[in-house]
Amino acid sequence: MGTIHLFRKPQRSFFGKLLQEFRLVAADRRSWKILLFGAINLTCTGFLLMWCSSTNSIALTAYTYLTIFDLFSLMTCLISYWVMMRKPSPVYSFGFERLEVLAVFASTVLAQLGALFILKESAERFLEQPEIHTGRLLVGTFVALSFNLFTMLSIRNKPFAYVSEAASTSWLQEHVADLSRSLCGIIPGLSSIFLPRMNPFVLIDLAGAFALCITYMLIEINNFFAVDTASAIAIALMTFGTMYPMSVYSGKVLLQTTPPHVIGQLDKLIREAGSVHVRIRRDANEQMVLAHVTNRLYTLVSTLTVQIFKDDWIRPALLSGPVAANVLNFSDHHIIPMPPLKGTDDSNPVTSTPAKPSSPPPEFSFNTPGKNVNPVILLNTQTRPYGLGLSHGHTPYSSMLNQGLGVPGIGATQGLRTGLTNMPSRYGTHNRIGQPRP
Amino acid sequence: MEEKYGGDVLAGPVFFCGGGGGGGLGPVDVPSARFSKYIVLLCFTKFLKAVGLFESYDLLKAVHIVQFIFILKFFFVTAFFMVLFQKPFSSGKSITKHQWIKIFKHAVAGCIISLLWFFGLTLCGPLRTLLLFEHSDIVVISLLSVLFTSSGGGPAKTRGAAFFIIAVICLLLFDNDDLMAKMAEHPEGHHDSALTHMLYTAIAFLGVADHKGGVLLLVLALCCKVGFHTASRKLSIDVGGSKRLQALSHLVSVLLLCPWVIVLSVTTESKVESWFSLIMPFTTVIFFVMILDFYVDSICSVKMEVSKCARYGSFPIFISALLFGNFWTHPITDQLRAMNKAAHQESTEHVLSGGVVVSAIFFILSANILSSPSKRGQKGTLIGYSPEGTPLYNFMGDAFQHSSQSIPRFIKESLKQILEENDSRQIFYFLCLNLLFTFVELFYGVLTNSLGLISDGFHMLFDCSALVMGLFAALMSRWKATRIFSYGYGRIEILSGFINGLFLMVIAFFVFMESVARLIDPPELDTHMLTPVSVGGLIVNLIGICAFSHAHNHNHGASQGSCHSSDHSHSHHMHGHSDHGHGHSHGSAGRGMNANMRGVFLHVLADTLGSIGVIVSTVLIEQFGWFIADPLCSLFIAVLIFLSVVPLIKDACQVLLLRLPPEYEKELHVALEKIQKIEGLISYRDPHFWRHSASVVAGTIHIQVTSDVLEQRIVQQVTGILKDAGVNNLTVQVEKEAYFQHMSGLSTGFHDVLAITKQMESMKYYKDGTYIM
Repeated sequence: MGTIHLFRKPQRSFFGKLLQEFRLVAADRRSWKILLFGAINLTCTGFLLMWCSSTNSIALTAYTYLTIFDLFSLMTCLISYWVMMRKPSPVYSFGFERLEVLAVFASTVLAQLGALFILKESAERFLEQPEIHTGRLLVGTFVALSFNLFTMLSIRNKPFAYVSEAASTSWLQEHVADLSRSLCGIIPGLSSIFLPRMNPFVLIDLAGAFALCITYMLIEINNFFAVDTASAIAIALMTFGTMYPMSVYSGKVLLQTTPPHVIGQLDKLIREAGSVHVRIRRDANEQMVLAHVTNRLYTLVSTLTVQIFKDDWIRPALLSGPVAANVLNFSDHHIIPMPPLKGTDDSNPVTSTPAKPSSPPPEFSFNTPGKNVNPVILLNTQTRPYGLGLSHGHTPYSSMLNQGLGVPGIGATQGLRTGLTNMPSRYGTHNRIGQPRP
Repeated sequence: MEEKYGGDVLAGPVFFCGGGGGGGLGPVDVPSARFSKYIVLLCFTKFLKAVGLFESYDLLKAVHIVQFIFILKFFFVTAFFMVLFQKPFSSGKSITKHQWIKIFKHAVAGCIISLLWFFGLTLCGPLRTLLLFEHSDIVVISLLSVLFTSSGGGPAKTRGAAFFIIAVICLLLFDNDDLMAKMAEHPEGHHDSALTHMLYTAIAFLGVADHKGGVLLLVLALCCKVGFHTASRKLSIDVGGSKRLQALSHLVSVLLLCPWVIVLSVTTESKVESWFSLIMPFTTVIFFVMILDFYVDSICSVKMEVSKCARYGSFPIFISALLFGNFWTHPITDQLRAMNKAAHQESTEHVLSGGVVVSAIFFILSANILSSPSKRGQKGTLIGYSPEGTPLYNFMGDAFQHSSQSIPRFIKESLKQILEENDSRQIFYFLCLNLLFTFVELFYGVLTNSLGLISDGFHMLFDCSALVMGLFAALMSRWKATRIFSYGYGRIEILSGFINGLFLMVIAFFVFMESVARLIDPPELDTHMLTPVSVGGLIVNLIGICAFSHAHNHNHGASQGSCHSSDHSHSHHMHGHSDHGHGHSHGSAGRGMNANMRGVFLHVLADTLGSIGVIVSTVLIEQFGWFIADPLCSLFIAVLIFLSVVPLIKDACQVLLLRLPPEYEKELHVALEKIQKIEGLISYRDPHFWRHSASVVAGTIHIQVTSDVLEQRIVQQVTGILKDAGVNNLTVQVEKEAYFQHMSGLSTGFHDVLAITKQMESMKYYKDGTYIM
């Protein structure tokens, strides 16, 4: 392993670049607060680690890892500021929004690896339980808890806030929701406090502190040192439970999957349309089809590329060109649907193209897959907005603009959504649409 | 209604009336006034049962367990015959020979279970026995369904199961049962018979203290009891009622036990001074534990719902068990104790401890949660409405979907999949080797009671998790593309490589911290066990390195070393990148070793370094007494691991961030220049190229052409050019002027019109189309 090669030449420039980028970020006012919190976090973590070694408590160590995770989340926040400032470079042609996702993924995975390490350590401790000194245990707990909560509530950490909203609920959240539902059944007044979805980070901080308090109590009362190990395992399991859905969510983004919310809308499109195998005839107006497809998918996918295949064109091409290999890859199940043509005009006259009434609708052949099926991208010219949820039915052009094309201007939260959500759509969906492949 | 819609379709209201015979029609709770007398009766019976069990614990100190069970069953049978007039032979239909065999089996199983139960009682005392064993079937069944099936029934049931497990663990770990610790010192003390001796040795073999063994035994007996009850349900219908079955089965078991008891009483001298003084306690035990409990249970289960029965039954019995656990030896309860020969002897056996109280609380909670009726009504899928307007649900869908593969077949198929391809096969073999070594180490560590070995074994297991992840990634990367994973699963390998890299960084970090701590305060080491273990680990890891680096070189040979990662190769293609990297790489499968395999390889390498470090530091310590060598070695290793991981993480990050693949940069540039020269092409925009997985380089490009060009020809040409440049997964969007007109028609808004007119202008006036890469 010639590992040393990495640092041979780019070392200085690497740190120089890092410093430069750091200055860029630090120029922003908002990042000062984060830097301040990061500094406090470092001191706090240092003290906590010291107390961990002095108390010899592994539960406190597991809790300290949550503080370290906070540090990572602060870094992610910084990265998201940096990403906002950067333009796409030729090499990173999609821009750097993915860095945010990667940072979220890395920090959640690191937290889980830390938890795994805790599990291993506690398995060893079950064999030989060392003595725990409770001296700094409670102090450490409350320092960590108050710091964590303070960070969580005072810093608006957009990437993590978004991911924790969008990811599926962790088991901790589910149980708390279940408990609080039954509690609200007894005391209905509490419903406004307990029923909304709990922030998973606050939840795990509170639960970890609770476990540590129990540990402290039992050790003080009865010298049950094994409780420490047990609560370390509990905290590690809770960390797993909290982080796992988020890392799955961000990992799916990194894997370029079709995001779930887009899938639903694509399905709706298919349902509305009824699925048929369609080829464009030679005389179909390719550009118009392209325009309509783009127009429909534009709202879902911000970076869209649509490729159109023509049956009559491809058949000779199968014999010669390099396209052949590409075409042969197609399987049937990605065939793009086509709404029935009847009633196109009368149902929705407002939204049809100006060009359209003059020219006859493009001809399609239904249910005629042919011998070598070449599924073709195609949506017909009926331009009803297809279930975006925001507006249905007869929508004038201007309002359609608001849903989709105006996305970049909507605001900070929406901008973040573009960062995290539309990324996979860009990479995943448009290819699913644009170039069906097995 | 059911008949009308066939078996798997139930009308809504009908579904809800499940449970006991007397249950109401709806989910509404029927006013409990009707039940209150049964509930009171049930509570009282459970209380008396607790008394009886405490009594029988006292009895079991004097009487041999087999004799005890024999007497119990004998009197039970006589009670049936004499008092309750069951007339099992004369009434009802006659019993066939086949049924007699079944009854015989039933009797044997019943004997074994009661033997386990009372043996557990002698081991861990009445309080813990009551807590562990007195769970109704419904609780245990829903516990097992939560643990072993996916359809548990919501978070509440999961919580209940977790509480149950916590309670058992509390009993196992946090319960300082003083007397039993004492008894564990001489487990061979006073065993009366071969049977108890056998059970004792079995528990001693497990290596746990006696009362812990009793806890495990009781849990086992509980599961057996539930299975036994479920299995005997059909038999009891065949025979004609559960009471009749009980009577017959007990009769058979009395006959079975009879010879044994005779042999026992002949061979061993009895510890009982006078059987006469035992009549009273035996009567109470038989009446409370066997007869009353059986009858009240059967009455209540007929009159009330089973779940309600379980809920109201468990609470009093646990509470009274706790109370008696505290006060049984106290003078207050002397009146209750029929066998008061050991009066006022301040006994310390099986006293109440904190762990028991906690576990009792958890048991009560879990029994409460698990016995509550599950809301399965939500699980059915609505399939429509009946003509009367009642909703129809389909409950069978679940059962069909969950038809699981048989386990051996599943294992066989996944093994076949694993062995199909080179990467996964190597990881799998190495994983097996590693696991083998780990278990040998663990086993030897347990045998010699060496903590160092055991903790090293845990460490190896920890490392194996990385291998397991690599194996899964190698398997999954071959899955077919789905709707959601529209490009296929190839990217999983990169993600797994990234996670493995993070894993190694965490390991390096921990080793670093540990060694810094040891540098400051070097501990004394005991080195005599270290060398053989680390040599063994070294050998295993060297095998792994050979296997993986072989694959590494092989792949490099195949792909002519085009990859960026060639800096860590020992092959002769070190110079491949600069010399002949670009020319050959197009058709082949892309870069040599994928990120996943690199991660696994680095992991093995790190382990090897660790073993070497241990050996070196041991030698240094033994030869020169340099205790500082150990932390220095680990410091060095930590830095080495970290440095070796950095390139992997960097590469994986680049791929995950959709960077233009560095090794294709130049060719793509050339290709884009070529595209410029295509006839009829005005310009292009948004060229995106990225590596999707080890073998797939994907790309998208938008191309503007003049309106007289055939789109498909352009697509073909562009695809051909970029395919030559290495992009094997391309999407081309061909745009003409008409497209922008359509777009502006479709979505008019100020910003869009602005953007689109800009585009159109660029199409018109930007003929040379210089997109600078």
